[in-house]
Amino acid sequence: MSLGKLLERIIQLIPVLLGVSLIVFVMMALTPGDPVQIMVGEQSITPEQEAELRRNLGLDRPMVERFFIFLANAVQFDFGNSFYHGRPVADVIAERLPATIELSLVALVVALATAIPLGVVAAIRKNSVLDRVATVGSLLGVSLPGFWFGILLIMLFAVHMQILPVSGRIGYDNEVAAVTGFLLIDTLLAGDIGAFGDALRHLLLPAITLGLPMTAILMRVTRSSMLEVMRQDYVTFAEAKGLPRRRVLYRHALKNALIPTVSVAAIETGSLLGGNMIVETVFGWPGLGRLVVESIFLRNYPLIQAAVLLYAVTYVVLNFLADILYTVLNPRVKL
Amino acid sequence: MTDATLAAAPSAESLFRRNLRDFRRNRLAMASVAVILIFVLMAVAAPLIAPQDPNETDLFRRLQPPGWAEGGDWAFPLGCDALGRDILSRIIYGARISIFIGAAVIFLATGVGILAGLAAGYFRGWVDVVISRVVDILLGFPYLIFAIGLMAMMGPGLLNIVLALAYKEWVIPCRVVRGETLAVRELEYVEAARALGAGPRHIMWREILPNILSPVIVVSTIRMAHVIILEASLSFLGLGVQPPTASWGSMVSDGRAFILEAWWVSTFPGLAILLLVLAINVASQALRDAFDPRFSE
Amino acid sequence: MKALPRLLMATALAACPAVIPAAVGAADLVVGFTLDADTLDPANHRKRETETIIRNMYDGLLTRDPDMLVVPEIAESMTQVSATEYDFKIRSGIKFHDGSDLTAEDVKFTLDRVVMENGMGDGMTSPRQGLMGPVASVTVAAPDTVRITLKEPWPILPAMLPNQQIVSKAWVEKMGNEGVATAENGTGPFKLVEWRKGDAVIMERFDDYYGGATDIPPVGKACVDRVIFKIIPESASRVAALLAGEVHIINELPAFSIAQVEANEGTQVMTVNGTRSFFIAMNMEGELFDDLKVRQAAAMAIDKGLIIDKILAGNAAPIDGILSPDAFGASELPKVGFDPEKAKALLAEAGFPDGIDVTMDTEAAFKDTAEAIASMLTKAGIRTTVAVGEGAQLSDKWRTKGAPKTGDMYFTSWGNGSLDPFDIFTPTHRTNDRGNSAGYANPELDKILDAAAVEMDVEKRRGMYHDAEMMITADQPYIYLWVPQDIYGVSKKVTGWKPSADSRINLHDACLN
Repeated sequence: MSLGKLLERIIQLIPVLLGVSLIVFVMMALTPGDPVQIMVGEQSITPEQEAELRRNLGLDRPMVERFFIFLANAVQFDFGNSFYHGRPVADVIAERLPATIELSLVALVVALATAIPLGVVAAIRKNSVLDRVATVGSLLGVSLPGFWFGILLIMLFAVHMQILPVSGRIGYDNEVAAVTGFLLIDTLLAGDIGAFGDALRHLLLPAITLGLPMTAILMRVTRSSMLEVMRQDYVTFAEAKGLPRRRVLYRHALKNALIPTVSVAAIETGSLLGGNMIVETVFGWPGLGRLVVESIFLRNYPLIQAAVLLYAVTYVVLNFLADILYTVLNPRVKL
Repeated sequence: MTDATLAAAPSAESLFRRNLRDFRRNRLAMASVAVILIFVLMAVAAPLIAPQDPNETDLFRRLQPPGWAEGGDWAFPLGCDALGRDILSRIIYGARISIFIGAAVIFLATGVGILAGLAAGYFRGWVDVVISRVVDILLGFPYLIFAIGLMAMMGPGLLNIVLALAYKEWVIPCRVVRGETLAVRELEYVEAARALGAGPRHIMWREILPNILSPVIVVSTIRMAHVIILEASLSFLGLGVQPPTASWGSMVSDGRAFILEAWWVSTFPGLAILLLVLAINVASQALRDAFDPRFSE
Repeated sequence: MKALPRLLMATALAACPAVIPAAVGAADLVVGFTLDADTLDPANHRKRETETIIRNMYDGLLTRDPDMLVVPEIAESMTQVSATEYDFKIRSGIKFHDGSDLTAEDVKFTLDRVVMENGMGDGMTSPRQGLMGPVASVTVAAPDTVRITLKEPWPILPAMLPNQQIVSKAWVEKMGNEGVATAENGTGPFKLVEWRKGDAVIMERFDDYYGGATDIPPVGKACVDRVIFKIIPESASRVAALLAGEVHIINELPAFSIAQVEANEGTQVMTVNGTRSFFIAMNMEGELFDDLKVRQAAAMAIDKGLIIDKILAGNAAPIDGILSPDAFGASELPKVGFDPEKAKALLAEAGFPDGIDVTMDTEAAFKDTAEAIASMLTKAGIRTTVAVGEGAQLSDKWRTKGAPKTGDMYFTSWGNGSLDPFDIFTPTHRTNDRGNSAGYANPELDKILDAAAVEMDVEKRRGMYHDAEMMITADQPYIYLWVPQDIYGVSKKVTGWKPSADSRINLHDACLN
């Protein structure tokens, strides 16, 4: 990984972010619904008061001017004030972000922990009953609408068996000093095992719901790359040399087979981050996705704009990470 | 994606046949093809087989349980929804909408994706730069958020749902086609065609496309399953198909509120989605195994 | 969930070690609530959910009791000095949560912050300015008295004052607008412990509380140690949380879940008459509904009773005019009966013997009801297609303030939190007013509404609204439907609390057994 390559990536990011901002702006301009009218709702308001409100929100300027003001401020990481929160959108987003990231990462762990063993076994015993069951089982995951599955889980584990909570991130008896914003880490830092367990219990159902589709994708990638590796010369050679099959598979084949899995996982994490508003709604999870969807309906322009930029940066960074992982795991590939 | 079997690709036709044979031998795959066919037939013949008018409301049958349950009536075998409409008939008619959305989005997206991907991979240069940049930008948007934004912009409606999903969906086949095209364009037989004086159009359509179609088909089927789920997600957010039309996604979404009181309202359409999407996924997995074991999304 | 296979449940049970659900602290009252507060700044919010949360930490000059009667809270008494001047005597001994004393200066500061242009500083005017009508100035008339002077008579001032919560001048000036948005320093029964944004607002009892409105017993400190507003937007999940015992009160209980909550041991349903009138606007600027007969036909085609009974589970009061039966000025009005045959005949008389084809716009939340209405209209010859749109798009299309409208019908509603006709009757029926989605224009009616808004004689004013209602029942610009009840699911452990018509959840008096 050379510095030049890194620089090139960063430069590539610029047109992407510009394009994303422009698309969001154009979409907002073409979307019917006036933020001021939505905000005022049924309230009575004089034309002067309305003009004043419009000026407060910066909506009195022409669209093009607003775009350039936005760009000028965005380079300084100033994304303006949220129409509804009375605070900078950067703050509002920053408060919600840890919850979303934590949920996504745990979902990722759940997915990897299920997908890799399943995929490997399915590949080794290709076409066995086990393979079929694993394949169909994992495919069930991508075949369920997440909100429905989530509600079913709530009904079963929270209402009927009452062993897991319906919603939220942690019980209110646990007061955790926010250091990282990730409750699993913060509770451990505080040395509070009880709170850690509580946070984990809250995470379980949403993480399973969110991670399930990814499990299926990762399992398929693992299975097919494992199959491919097993056909490679060096594996056949190692086997011919009389090395135990198990050792050949797990020492040599698995390591190489995991390369695509890992890079796909890195990219898919991006879609976890951006695709969890449904899980967040069902489980009352205080994440970013729900906030962004609400903001679209309320035409809270600054928040939408900043959040979408954040998603785009995340996507590019994750791709970059995927590439790095690829080189680390497979030194033959040079970036 | 550089690959030895593709170098021998001029015999694509026979390879295709061999792959098809492999696919046919996979019994699970054939079962899922059967399931898909049954659903498609159901959609086509909906007026003939639906026991009731799917849009006929009757508030006196509100949330009536399935035929076998207490309070049920076999004239409405799977029970009734919140407006007293027959759930079975709505599932049968709903197959039309769900399959239409899945197929239309994928058809549009794959068409555009092939064109853009071929152009980018074959011409390279500034064409590739422009297309790749657009692809990057679109990939930077989370899928659902982009679709929600588009729905807010375009307003409701079946066609707008298709468009809202297709606007981003085409990127996926495009990337696949571009990658494959880049790999194939330098191969001997393409060089040979070029040496014989074939124009770019001929080379792209006749020489390259047939040899890269397998992964495209595999990806498209997987994505179709995904699109059907996405439609359900849009319904969940209140941006689904217009009433009284039934789509499975909107049925599950509307019925989820009653899950404590009337589980049948969302469960049966949920199972329908599950079954169809599962069948498509199993079939696509088998397609991939048979046609292109090396491909990974 | 009888339907879940026993085997599945058994497997799942076996797989999970027995974990006891985290017990909620004995005196923690948890409310499962639809939406988080956007901000905690009493002068800078726009949603009633935000106000509901804020109201447990901040008290107002005046407040409402559960029966919507306006009573003094921070004010000890209110005196109307003239048609445009009101004096409020401020109670002594009220402390803010930071321990400082509340003074008349704080009250003046609070109201100035809302009323004045640039009142919030930083070039910001409060978005709640419109709620204060024609207030000209707020002055400290005596050390313990605040005087509000109006530009013109505005009899609803007392009804609107409960919407404002009193802040501390010194504290707001110290914190700035951004600080006030995330912290609080009110005089209310609870003080903020922690706001987990998007997740929960945790409050604890304020031990120096002055006791609250003397007209709403019991007076004194709050009963429970802590109050938690837990945000659960999805209604099925909210009901699940109530049934699972995780929360004690939930708002917006869907009507169809009533039976479930009643059947569950330990939970019950509580309702209160709401203040939101539902109606269907018919576009009188269009080609079809410009004809009174067509509008009457549509009104006759709808069996309100059946929908209230089946879809709203009986939890709504039918209305024949725009006003809720509980509102000021509501009166007995002629009823439009359900008569599809007569509807068809009227259509034929209007020149549509073969019926008409129309579209009815509505938001996703009302899809079910709108579809049920559409099928009734269709049976009477008004073939109706429901078009579900997003709220922002629909208000652009229908609340045009006089600009031309497109569309046929709009199933919608209008809130009337004050239960005074001025903020529902005028906006929906006055020519070109902000909520007049029917495009109704009746100069006679405009005159009555304008006069009633400033009429100080209560009985005369009541009579004026009756006359106005008689006019609109004759013209039928809307089909008036019903005022639904607000439905809450409540744990039987909760005592001393009942829902309030303004949809606030004031927990000062609530106890847990």
